[in-house]
Amino acid sequence: MNIPVTVIGGYLGAGKTTLLNRLLAHPQGVRLAVVVNDFGSVNIDAALIANRDGETISLTNGCVCCSIGDNLALALYDLAERPDGPEHIVVEASGVADPARIAGYAASHPRLFLDGIVVVADAETVRARVHDAYVGDLVRRQLETADLIALSKTDLVDAKTVQQVQEWISVEVPDARVVTAPRAGQVADLLLSGPGGHAVLYDALPGGEHARQFMTWSFVRGGVLDGDALRTVIAALPAAVVRAKGVVRLAEAPDRRFVLQLVGRRWSLEPDHVENRDTVVPDRSVIVCIGLADQLEPERLEALFAPVSVAVVPRAVKALLQGVERP
Amino acid sequence: MPGPITIFSARKIITMDPAVEEATHVAVRDGIILEVGTLNECAVWGDHTLDDRFGDSILIPGLIESHAHLLDGLLWAKAEYVGPIDRRDPSGKLHKGLASIPALVKRLKEVEAAISDPTAPLVGWGVDPSLNDLPDPITRHDLDQVSKTRPIFLLAASCHIAYVNSATLELANYAAIKAPGVLRDASGAPTGELQEMAAMMAAIKAVASNLVGASTDAEQFFNFAKVAQVRGVTTIVDGGGSTYFEPAFLQAALAATGSPDFPVRIVAHNNGITVPKVEDMIEAATMLRGKGNDKLVFQGIKILLDGSNQGFTGRLRPPGYLRTGANGLWNRAPEELRRIVSAMHAAGMQIVAHCNADQASEAFIEAVAAAQAEKPRFDHRHFIVHGQLLNESQLRRMATLGISATLFSNHMYYWGDFHRTHTFGAFRAAAMNPAATALRLGVIVAAHSDTPVSPVDPLLTMWAAVNRVTTTGRVQGPRERVSAYEGLRMMTYNAAWLLHRDHEIGSIRVGKRADFTVLAHDPLAVEPMAIKDIPVRGTILGGRVFPTAG
Repeated sequence: MNIPVTVIGGYLGAGKTTLLNRLLAHPQGVRLAVVVNDFGSVNIDAALIANRDGETISLTNGCVCCSIGDNLALALYDLAERPDGPEHIVVEASGVADPARIAGYAASHPRLFLDGIVVVADAETVRARVHDAYVGDLVRRQLETADLIALSKTDLVDAKTVQQVQEWISVEVPDARVVTAPRAGQVADLLLSGPGGHAVLYDALPGGEHARQFMTWSFVRGGVLDGDALRTVIAALPAAVVRAKGVVRLAEAPDRRFVLQLVGRRWSLEPDHVENRDTVVPDRSVIVCIGLADQLEPERLEALFAPVSVAVVPRAVKALLQGVERP
Repeated sequence: MPGPITIFSARKIITMDPAVEEATHVAVRDGIILEVGTLNECAVWGDHTLDDRFGDSILIPGLIESHAHLLDGLLWAKAEYVGPIDRRDPSGKLHKGLASIPALVKRLKEVEAAISDPTAPLVGWGVDPSLNDLPDPITRHDLDQVSKTRPIFLLAASCHIAYVNSATLELANYAAIKAPGVLRDASGAPTGELQEMAAMMAAIKAVASNLVGASTDAEQFFNFAKVAQVRGVTTIVDGGGSTYFEPAFLQAALAATGSPDFPVRIVAHNNGITVPKVEDMIEAATMLRGKGNDKLVFQGIKILLDGSNQGFTGRLRPPGYLRTGANGLWNRAPEELRRIVSAMHAAGMQIVAHCNADQASEAFIEAVAAAQAEKPRFDHRHFIVHGQLLNESQLRRMATLGISATLFSNHMYYWGDFHRTHTFGAFRAAAMNPAATALRLGVIVAAHSDTPVSPVDPLLTMWAAVNRVTTTGRVQGPRERVSAYEGLRMMTYNAAWLLHRDHEIGSIRVGKRADFTVLAHDPLAVEPMAIKDIPVRGTILGGRVFPTAG
């Protein structure tokens, strides 16, 4: 099974570490590997540490935390080659890194692919920071390359300021997808995905504060979908959809299973690498969208997705058609 | 009991010491200079052996390579040099530059034919199409002409790009690797060019895994030393990426350098590059103080501020890179840098700062200014490595704050045209590595090769600072040319001063170590354009003669 890689970017102090700590402490059952610049930056609960071996700390919950050392590509290669490899890898980009450049490492091994770039931005300081002579261009670049922006420390400023910052981001980065997270850790669950992205389809989102900010909308259909129509719909999803996962059957290759992954602006719809016919929903298509509770309009999504269903062609007819086409 | 005295004679001894500038004889005992002058003046010390073998040669203070990397030695040990630049290998053999793809393919075929194991990969290094006669990229089709079955992996001189053949692409399953640095042709197939480590790693692990990870191979130290020695080096810097704080690596380094046959002295910077925390850097540097030997000392902590100019990752002041206005990358955030510099400065450390473009230098100068305000220190000798776009205002501040520099003078020769056309444009290309202005303002500067980036060859580096000529013969920034005397001083005394070793090397003076370079001609008297071609006849290290081949 291939391993999704999430890159976490953002300037120093924006809240990347809070997010990583949250991921390691509450991995939602996902066997997670977190790759950091420096162990000192993450604050792993001593009770969670199973053992430490050089550049790798193993946790009792099945997760590992690795330091990049001087070679991120090597750290990722080693993770991808581990027999008990992780189900999801999260890479911490340094505060001045170009996350897009770090994302280049996400696909450095045949088993790895880039799930998305999440940039944490400090609501209090981000607008001033883009004018800094030394780092302004990089902070701006971080926002531009983000698939999803997590606006942190929104509890330190008033609601009006939060709104102003969001408007400012929408001008600076016209297609930005933004979630607010007073404490950056609150977006942690959004980043996780089970093996191949299936688990999330059946696990409800955790409750509490988190549930109040996000809501889910599901699309379930029997039979195959029109791939081109589906791609058009996904490309046109409203900005309120910040995460989507799906397993679908497409008319273009009805015997294969396709996996949809969406993190903010980035999405992919690819044939599943491991075809396992015994798993659930052999002939159903399921898509789950997670969006901002105050903005997501289920009726609009229903309408958007309406054109993707195609008439079910009975197998016998399909076989006949294929027979006719064959020379 | 003092040892025997040897008196070396020479056609001329250039001391680089103003007290006695020239001599014909130098007396040496126990590796230390006893006297410099005539034979009679030297003979005053009593019984001696007269060594006349260099009687028709020129003796100068041992040349110092003030910024280089041990990786050079590892590459010579593990890979075949096939680059466009002439380089001498550890045995002194000259490898003529392969400046075109046909020449490269022809040479690779010869190398391939000599490998007996049919499955062994062919690993090469030093290629750089930007320096070829025609800057066409190298593709798998070119390398498939060499072999379709044997994996081929060629590492660029910059170490940021690799070129591989179809056999390597297949072996490492590049069909499934989507990293953007894997260049693809119109059909979507990999071209064979792999940009940056993200794209290279699978190929490295498949066919050249001994190039990554800390090697404790003794050969790397000897190669590193010998390549330098054959071009007259007696002291070379290992510029900060090595892990001497790891016991196994330190042991290997001490064993190699402890050999009487080890032909150079290494000044190793402490590692502030791969160690994230400043407290750990200081602790390791403190732990290593005095842990070296006669030919290995630890000095300064090396930190990286930005990337490389030819890689478009140096941090530039406005208006940024030519045409695009883009800027490069910080290796550390400037606010983090201020904390690191302040902590090292307060701890009494010497800071060695890689600053390639001018905004990086600016950030470092400001950080030192703040650290000096917190805790004024004299004679800290913090210095900038590369400092390629330093301007007069920055140099004046450096003079005030006590910051010096080792400049990348070789860059003007190898990449001067490239910078003019692709990175900086005409003005800034002419402004690179301003040695004359620095010296005029009292900033002590040396110059370096940064090998394996460019070949370690101090006479070539001196020549580059003296002539400022590019590979196509264009002189850029003629007012920044230095005299031959200043150029030689940059490669001897000034470098020794930067490394806190001027009390023992850097000039030929009574009481200093007997480290000399033996040349066929006088570098201060030949035509300036001929300096780089002066044959090196040998080196003398602590009184022991190390001949050079050829």
